Amino acid sequence: MAKHLTAWLLCAVFLLVPFSYVAYAEEASDTPLSIAQGIIDWKKSDVDSSPNGYLLNDTFLTLAGSTAGDWYPIGLSRLGKADNYAGYLAVLREFVEERYRQPGKLSAAKATEWHRITLSVLAAGGDPTAFGTDENGRPINLIADGTYDRGKTTPLGRQGVNGWIWGLIALDTRRYAIPANAYYTRDAIITEILSEQLSDGGWALSGNVSDPNLTAMAVQSLAPYYADEKTYVYLRKSINTETKATVRESVDEALACLSVMQLADGDFKSWGTQNVESTDQVIIALCCLGIDPLTDARFIKNGHTLLDGVLCYRQSDGGFAHSFIFDPENPNALPGQSDSMAGEQTLLAMAALWRQQNGMRTLYDFRPEASAASNAQTVFSDADKRAVDSLPARLTTEQYVTVTALLDKLERSADFANKEAYRQKLTAAKEQIAKIRDEIDDLNAQIQEKLYPLESISLRDKQTVDAIVERYHALSDFDRTKIAHWEDVVKAKTQIEGLLRGLIIGVALGAVAILLTIFLICRICKKRRRKTKEMEELAAQFADEDEA
Amino acid sequence: MKKDILAVFGIILILAVLINGTHIQSVDEYYLTHIDDITPESETVTLSIRCDTVLQHYEDLDPALRSEEFVPPDGVILPPTEYVLREGDTVFDILDRAVRYNKIQMEFQGAAKSPFGSVYMQGIHYLYEFSCGPLSGWMYRVDGEFPHYGCSRYELHDGQNIEWIYTCDLGQDIGAPWMGGQGK
Repeated sequence: MAKHLTAWLLCAVFLLVPFSYVAYAEEASDTPLSIAQGIIDWKKSDVDSSPNGYLLNDTFLTLAGSTAGDWYPIGLSRLGKADNYAGYLAVLREFVEERYRQPGKLSAAKATEWHRITLSVLAAGGDPTAFGTDENGRPINLIADGTYDRGKTTPLGRQGVNGWIWGLIALDTRRYAIPANAYYTRDAIITEILSEQLSDGGWALSGNVSDPNLTAMAVQSLAPYYADEKTYVYLRKSINTETKATVRESVDEALACLSVMQLADGDFKSWGTQNVESTDQVIIALCCLGIDPLTDARFIKNGHTLLDGVLCYRQSDGGFAHSFIFDPENPNALPGQSDSMAGEQTLLAMAALWRQQNGMRTLYDFRPEASAASNAQTVFSDADKRAVDSLPARLTTEQYVTVTALLDKLERSADFANKEAYRQKLTAAKEQIAKIRDEIDDLNAQIQEKLYPLESISLRDKQTVDAIVERYHALSDFDRTKIAHWEDVVKAKTQIEGLLRGLIIGVALGAVAILLTIFLICRICKKRRRKTKEMEELAAQFADEDEA
Repeated sequence: MKKDILAVFGIILILAVLINGTHIQSVDEYYLTHIDDITPESETVTLSIRCDTVLQHYEDLDPALRSEEFVPPDGVILPPTEYVLREGDTVFDILDRAVRYNKIQMEFQGAAKSPFGSVYMQGIHYLYEFSCGPLSGWMYRVDGEFPHYGCSRYELHDGQNIEWIYTCDLGQDIGAPWMGGQGK
């Protein structure tokens, strides 16, 4: 979310083109759960999953670790929906481990990558303080690296105040304790957020007018401290004044600011565009504080609640549109058409509401519930076995997600006949796919390094290019699609073949020319000899005549 | 005598061919290897990559990047360069080709993983979004205008001028119209 926002901001120009207002009517039977189900069903069809299948299918799993993927499992899990969390977790762990072997790890600048992934790990049932291992075999601690020790590499707030906000949310998912030798204290993070509060009571990435999204997110992060009596002393940058305030005073100001920003239909505008996501974030913020978003008088406008505001954007397929005007900043989200980001954030808002109505912990509070879910033993089902048996003899990276999820499940499952055989087959498959992935990466790097600039490709590069071509042809059709700019290799190869052919023709023609020259010289010599001989004969003749 | 003349003629012909070069190609091959050659008939666009704003905000720059290796003294990563426009080329395609041809580092988020359904440019020449403060990142301008959509959705026409410019202030420092906090 934090990232979406920045992306919006980084190209912030809005042309408002009014579109006809096509929204789906509110129904009396609507509950947070039924609204959420509509979104889930819509998203399932979006990723080609069957209505009874899992949303987190293999197509979806390829998105693990990305902004487009991680929020859906969080929403699903917080709604208590059964889904393929284990598969998601397995692929996500591989993703994190791979990224940790690179210099910037999850991101050089954006700490929010750690925060979003922390939430999806928790939602899928994993432990963010020991999520896979780094190259030295040490467990990866997303909480330490992404929050209290983030400053050891890059400031938590490098990307702006949202870095501090989401850092605090991640840190408080399980109320993680901060060790004494950590880079930041909790109070330091809270103080950073408070000090960015604008004069009108809210927060924004830049400028001095509050943005409902960021304001709502700041409230979500500060909510666990609302009842705290502690007074913070900080420089409030917007008014350049030393301020003494409790979190409650700061949050109350923010709520007043949000109340003023709410529009007549119950929704909000962010960066000039009336949209569903801002309203979703305000619902989540109020739920985090234990306020009922449907009855609090500050958030009812013309009889329209925040939920009414959200439902304006519902589409006939169950999904949600980003806005009902065309937003050129987000051209993928068309008015009157369900959009993935709008769906995921509304799913989260519905989860927050549903949890509140059922007396459960708030959306980002992942401490165990009083009625914790049972820890039933995992069973490697017949369908799983069939999936292993039907793996093709020649594996490609297309099977990466399937194999990773199956092996992870097998390792956690109860014993069964042939378990070892299945483990061996899956382990071998995983290693084989890892090799193909390495080969693809290396081939892409080789092309990038050896081929350019294309004009300077010469016969000297023949071996290099031939080797690249040979390795490419050794890949399966699916894996070949992972090689970027193959046309440049074809171009280089054609260029070399042309040069080679030119050389051969040149040599052959040169040889012919030499032969012709020799032929010519021989003939000239021969002619000369004949002439000399004729002259001699003639001279002899004359001499004979003279004698006579 | 006739044979001699023929031989001389043959030698001259071969020498002429050799001097002229023996690069013989089929039409397809010629098209393939000359696709990026600029001729009077070819449609072209101009691309440049600049980061001069970083020079004014050097104190905000990630200390690891404070070197001429990453930020050239004149801020020019790629001077205006002409590229042949292929059918259907987008701003992203041209950038992608230019950085490959010039061996400039680039990292982007593919359209599928981006929430906007378009390629999202994360870093060029090791300068990433947020590398120079929370409001920093890459923006592109076509013929002086900042387009309202992702670079892999902007299809180009003959003669257009594309600039990739690093901003340290949400576009304000590079003349992008800025709506921060407005429109309430």
